Amino acid sequence: MQHRRHQSQSHVFPRRLTTPGGAGAIIVSEPKRGKKRGSYTCGRCGLPKKGHSCYVSITTDTNSPITSTPTHAPDSSVAVSATRPPPTRHFRRALSFDEDVGDVNGGFPEDEDDLDLGDPVADPESGRFPAGCLWEILRRLPPAGLLAAASVCKGWRETAKRLWRAAEELRLRVPARAQVGLVGSVLQKCPGIVRLSLRMESDVDATMLACIAFSCPNLESMEILKSDTAINRITGDELGRFVVDKRCLKSLKMEGCSNLGGFVLCSSSLSTLWLSDLYSLSKTVFNCPNLNEISLEFSCQENDSTDLATMVDGLGRNCPRLQNIHIASVRLSHSVVLALTAAQLRWLRMLSLVLGSEITDASVAAIASSNPNLELLDLSGSSISDSGIGMICNVFPETLSRLLLALCPNITSSGIQFATAQLPLLELMDCGMTICDPNSQNPIPDESSDSELKHFSNTKLHLIHQKLIIKHNRLKKLSLWGCSGLDALYLNCPALNDLNLNSCKNLHPERLLLQCPTLESVHASGCQELLIGTIEHQVSDDFSAMENLLPCKRLADGSKRVRVPHFLSAQSYDDDKKQRRVERRQCNVLVN
Amino acid sequence: MSSSKSNKIVKLESSDNKTFEVEEAVAVQSETLKNMVDDGCANDTIPLPNVNGKILEMVLGWCKKHVDETVTGDELNKYEADFLDLDQADLYGLLMAANFLNVKGLLDRVLQRVADMIKGKKPEEIRRIFNIKNDFTPEEEEEIRLENAWAFD
Repeated sequence: MQHRRHQSQSHVFPRRLTTPGGAGAIIVSEPKRGKKRGSYTCGRCGLPKKGHSCYVSITTDTNSPITSTPTHAPDSSVAVSATRPPPTRHFRRALSFDEDVGDVNGGFPEDEDDLDLGDPVADPESGRFPAGCLWEILRRLPPAGLLAAASVCKGWRETAKRLWRAAEELRLRVPARAQVGLVGSVLQKCPGIVRLSLRMESDVDATMLACIAFSCPNLESMEILKSDTAINRITGDELGRFVVDKRCLKSLKMEGCSNLGGFVLCSSSLSTLWLSDLYSLSKTVFNCPNLNEISLEFSCQENDSTDLATMVDGLGRNCPRLQNIHIASVRLSHSVVLALTAAQLRWLRMLSLVLGSEITDASVAAIASSNPNLELLDLSGSSISDSGIGMICNVFPETLSRLLLALCPNITSSGIQFATAQLPLLELMDCGMTICDPNSQNPIPDESSDSELKHFSNTKLHLIHQKLIIKHNRLKKLSLWGCSGLDALYLNCPALNDLNLNSCKNLHPERLLLQCPTLESVHASGCQELLIGTIEHQVSDDFSAMENLLPCKRLADGSKRVRVPHFLSAQSYDDDKKQRRVERRQCNVLVN
Repeated sequence: MSSSKSNKIVKLESSDNKTFEVEEAVAVQSETLKNMVDDGCANDTIPLPNVNGKILEMVLGWCKKHVDETVTGDELNKYEADFLDLDQADLYGLLMAANFLNVKGLLDRVLQRVADMIKGKKPEEIRRIFNIKNDFTPEEEEEIRLENAWAFD
């Protein structure tokens, strides 16, 4: 099931410039399966938001503009000097082949005085642009366009060459029929590359690594993504050699790592490591003392012989500075957690151990005792129960802002509610597929047929007709996707931006109350029509209008009491501070 | 310096001797003009010999629209999109004017538009659109073609 997030465009001030990155990106995150540890991705560059400074907004100012004043004798030189980019313009030094991602092209801070690009005055007759303009135009082209432009005439070729040389970042899509030579010839043009991202549609092996190692002396960040059909043949030895050789490599991300087989990574510069589709790793050595962030996703193939406990043990010993850990594997278990907690990683802030059904409440206890300062905890797919949540709320209320417990069949709405009540800093809560109707089609470990309904123990009966009442001042994103056992929901969250109710099939339209004025998106695919209608109605009215739907009574002291739906206990409607009429942003209800 | 949001008027004269009067708030959308205003040089009519009347009018229209607070975000987007639906000569003129006057948002849009016109085209087509002479020698041409063969697949 796809978990979709759509960045809605808010068209209020400030104006957005047309960034070459284009309109809001669609962030598709796989639900608890290969999801990057709770780090929701930046809409512009696709990297996780946590701890990243988006390259799209790098500002370098090495230029002092020459202000031109028309009081001088107007001649062509005035036009030229005015073409220098003003210092507030963002210099972006990236070239992108990836058409989807958009084309972020290089700016060039050097002085252009001595460059002769021919007649500096624009001459519509012969199609010439002033020097700075041509640069700015070509820099907005995707690399294929840039190559075409370089073939137009000498002047354009010169400018294109400079753009290539200035490029610091390159994103390249390598088509299916391409050879390493393609990458090689491109990399030759831009020796200054610091960040490289390759989307492979053809197979990739060590020759590619060698090519990159040779062509990019300053490489700090490398990412190899792959399409479904491409095969990544790089072995652990080859990868290890690459890492050792690249002395300034800080970030390495690679998909399709099923042929690694085991590796020894030695690097004092490496701080970010993401490997996915791992399978049957024999020996793993992480000799990376400055490793800050690691993400290891194992493929779901059977018979994976990786010894996770030993691996994690080694990781804990050799990488004391780890702050963010994400491991996704069905073979995660309590013993693996113990190996991790034994390492006492004092800087650990984000811990994500997903898909491990053998992770239990005892694991939570271990985590809580050795890492009390977590900001993100993701135990999706585990067997923890409400008492595990209790432990979490006991230990982490002062730091935890993101809690993800999707696909945890043993937690109930009381647990969820407890968490939202006890964790004041919570901004993101994911409880997808937790409160599930056991009779539904959704795959749950304990599936039963209708006839056995009567024989359900109490623990299962409560899974239907669940209700949730959540009041939280800081919660920004809440996901209840797939909670088919949920039939009533009351949300009073003044900061909530995103609500996911996909497949909440049994949520009753008359038992839904959303009092979240800053809500921007509600996902409601798979819900009843009537529910969708109710949601739309509730998010489009502003507060006072909605208040009028509910019976209310004015008391002698002038205050108002609003009667909320029967399933809620009587509460005073304390939103009398509506003299501050917050202008409601448009909220999108997404159904697809 | 210009802290007063009053009705100070700025007078501009295009290359073909047309004069335009706009509010200061509108004029200072142009960094060039803003600098002049700040430096106190904007008291008389400012001559703009690089910009003809038609183009200047367009640029000022753009600036006015962006100062107008009654315009919604959506309306503005539509306006900006329609604005650039121009023939080539006008687009050129606009590019030069926006560049010279340094009207950021407009310049950015126009540059993008020109880039869009280049995107996806073969070199010969690009030359035709912009009327550029091919000044490569046959040897150079061949060299380039080989270099870039893969890009045009």
